[in-house]
Amino acid sequence: MQFEPSAEGRVSAHFELVEVGLLRLATSQLVELLEAADAHAPGPTADPALKRLLPDAYRGDPEAAAEFRRFTAGDLLDRKVLNAKVVLATLGEEPLDPISDEPDEALLHDSPDDAPLAIVLDPPDVQSWLRTLTDLRLTLAERLDIGPDGRPRRDDDEAPFLRDVYEWFGMVQESLVYAIDV
Amino acid sequence: MPKTVERPDLQETVSLDRPWITIVWDDPVNLMSYVAYVFRSYFGVTAEEAERLMLQVHNTGRAVVATGNREAMERHVEAMHGYGLWATLARADS
Repeated sequence: MQFEPSAEGRVSAHFELVEVGLLRLATSQLVELLEAADAHAPGPTADPALKRLLPDAYRGDPEAAAEFRRFTAGDLLDRKVLNAKVVLATLGEEPLDPISDEPDEALLHDSPDDAPLAIVLDPPDVQSWLRTLTDLRLTLAERLDIGPDGRPRRDDDEAPFLRDVYEWFGMVQESLVYAIDV
Repeated sequence: MPKTVERPDLQETVSLDRPWITIVWDDPVNLMSYVAYVFRSYFGVTAEEAERLMLQVHNTGRAVVATGNREAMERHVEAMHGYGLWATLARADS
């Protein structure tokens, strides 16, 4: 995966099918998180990731922060969902459920069908990708309990995988920034 | 003959017009390259200025990225939240 500039302001990259599946899964989960969010009343039970996706606009002034949220959170959430859906759309059709009893089989074996997928993004797609990759990383950072020094404080069995995903999303994003910044 | 308008208090006008700032805060998640890109593409500053602001955020924990009236600063903060940056607004003297 490495984004390169291509014709007419587009960028393109080849993604392994495993990478496409990972991005699709994480982005679908982000859409669920955003759609379940109550924009107007992010109470104490709200997902902590939402606090970072929609931070207080005023520090030390809860009233002004709540007022700002009342006027902006709905639109911000809608735009974040829209961006995530653009990412899903650019990843192409979701593969049909394998008929095989062993659905993981396809992921375990390289076959000609596993050829990398070419992803081509036009400038508006790139904007959606940049923002969605940020939202994904902010959400994963919350799950990993990433501290001020940038290191994850979570260390259970799932943490190494989440950390790999988090870092890979960062690589994808950086590659996109460099590809459009020529 | 029209009456001469009394000289407006310029100091007052200026402080009413520009008493708010937009602050971007350092966070351990957003990439330096992305933050500089956001400053460049959203605020239209040069690559050098974007880099300077990004490094200021990174090294000192925050940077003032815009000054103006409250409504304009709220628009900037909303835009920064759209990009996933951690931004707040405040009175300039705070």
